[in-house]
Amino acid sequence: MTEMQPSRSKWLILNETRMEKLRLLRKNGMRIAREYRHSLGGMIGLGILVFFVATALLAPLIASKYDTPSMPANDIHWNDYNPSYASPSARYLFGTDFYGRDVYTLTIWGSRASLIVGLLASLISIVLGTAVGLAAGYFGKVSDEVLMRFTDFFLVIPWFPLMIVFASLLGRSFTNVIIVIGITSWPSTSRIVRAQILSIKEKAFVERAIAVGAGSGHIISKHILPNVFPLIFANTILLVANSIFSESFLDFFGLGDASVVSWGTVLEAAYEKQAFGSFAWWNIFFPGVCIILLIMAFYLIGDALDEVMNPKLRRR
Amino acid sequence: MAQSFRWYFAKRLIYVALTVWLILTFNFLLFRVMPGDVTRIVIPKGVAPGSDTFERLSHYYGLDKSIPEQYLRYMQQLFTGHLGESISFSPGADIQDFLGVYLMNTLILVGFGTALSIVVGIWLGRYTAWKRGQPADRIGSAFFLVFYCMPTFLFALLMLTLVAKVVPQWPIAGAYSPTYYTMPLLDQIGDRVVHTLVPLFALVIETIATFSIITRSSLIDVMTEEYMVTAVAKGLTARVVLHKHAMPNAMLPVVTVVAMNVGWVLSGSIMIEMIFSYQGLGYLTYYAVTSQDYPVLQSAFMLEAIAVVLANLIADMMLLKLDPRVRV
Repeated sequence: MTEMQPSRSKWLILNETRMEKLRLLRKNGMRIAREYRHSLGGMIGLGILVFFVATALLAPLIASKYDTPSMPANDIHWNDYNPSYASPSARYLFGTDFYGRDVYTLTIWGSRASLIVGLLASLISIVLGTAVGLAAGYFGKVSDEVLMRFTDFFLVIPWFPLMIVFASLLGRSFTNVIIVIGITSWPSTSRIVRAQILSIKEKAFVERAIAVGAGSGHIISKHILPNVFPLIFANTILLVANSIFSESFLDFFGLGDASVVSWGTVLEAAYEKQAFGSFAWWNIFFPGVCIILLIMAFYLIGDALDEVMNPKLRRR
Repeated sequence: MAQSFRWYFAKRLIYVALTVWLILTFNFLLFRVMPGDVTRIVIPKGVAPGSDTFERLSHYYGLDKSIPEQYLRYMQQLFTGHLGESISFSPGADIQDFLGVYLMNTLILVGFGTALSIVVGIWLGRYTAWKRGQPADRIGSAFFLVFYCMPTFLFALLMLTLVAKVVPQWPIAGAYSPTYYTMPLLDQIGDRVVHTLVPLFALVIETIATFSIITRSSLIDVMTEEYMVTAVAKGLTARVVLHKHAMPNAMLPVVTVVAMNVGWVLSGSIMIEMIFSYQGLGYLTYYAVTSQDYPVLQSAFMLEAIAVVLANLIADMMLLKLDPRVRV
């Protein structure tokens, strides 16, 4: 019983600090949410994003009942059921493509691929970028020099052709698309992370932590990272927009997984089967507008968050 | 001052040379260390591994040697102007023999595209910033945002569909007609202009939006400065305030963004060239990817990377001329 005492009181004290931390976190979150609500662009972006997430989640319910979800172009002879390039009507809301697939259904299901790739690729990019930026900014000296030259090199190389080369060498698959986008978009993140860490490292609370004998791991996880993340959060959102663009492009370029339904593969089929020659604009327009809207949503959200979270950077 | 400029320039040149060397090395490693066998990349797919032909081709390309030896051979060939042989684009042809034409076409597209987007983008950005809050600004900014978020390839696709429908006789494929080389010079120029207009328009729309947004926000930032109030208080006309006080200071971030965007214009040209079958580096890249012609892909990537490095060097030098503060 006496042995239990110290550990119990320790738990209690920790709990109190935790409560305080939670309270501060909640207060801060409420402030951000309140300020965010005043940004018209941010709210529009959030609305579009919610719409697409709902679409992706409810795809089986709202997609047209006439088609099955998994529909690689050459698996089934859709032309046996549907006409080629039928214009939009009550039966085919967004018309059909060359293969006779319902573009409305394809567009609904395609939202999944874009969201999944956008989020996962950004995650890879954030982890890589943060790791490199952290190692360079926190440990400094030789590792800083080496890692930043490395980052500079990847910043100089045009990432877009590099992405094409990587994707082409790795081969067509859904996972490869995510990996390729992730490993070509980290350098800018690592630059930002490094710059933030350099300024936070000089703050008094870090010095204090070093003075009381905290280890690097403790300082990084308890003091550095929590202070870096809010600052790179807006950047992360913009990264998602870029990943969604890259995904749709790679699919369109013929480097994505052809068996996955995505807006990019729909456009690829439209381009290859000369939809523009038959003026089947619906085959390009509807998936295209979805890509633009989703990218714009992340762009607007990122912009609004940047304004709310980093007010110092914007004097206007 | 002249001394320090020369010193800075020399340092930059050394840095660029180092970067180019790194790019060449990276390009070598990329195609050898990536998953899969090198032989798969260089030797045509029809040749069965282990066969006599396969062995002979391996030996011919030096693939039976060790990696360092291959690297030396690769560098040696590069410096003697040998880029390898195409597998499928024009089988067996030396890549350096036909690469020049494609490079030229891309330079035309990207060069005009960059120039046009700088002029139009800055003008639009200045106009909307000056009319801040008025309908012209609101409509303009909304358009910028849409085109900024619109992937270039998507806009190109829509343009393609529209032009094919509205003006069916307008040529929408290729950088020139098939009969281009038999035309007299004047017709050649006209033919090029007709073929380049639509791709050029599709290429610049996104960069124009980017440059407008940057110019606008930079100018609006500058207009909150106190020396702007002073300028107005002195009784200067709006024109003088804008051109003599606001613009020079607002231009610096714009130049930086323009410099950073050169690589992006080149990337845009890859999408444009693919969609309009415009015979440039991007089209070559697309062809190399779809036909898995890795030597061609390697060469195209090398040129694209080096072009961006050189463009950045030029932009840096320009920035140095424009802003004395950069000089250390």
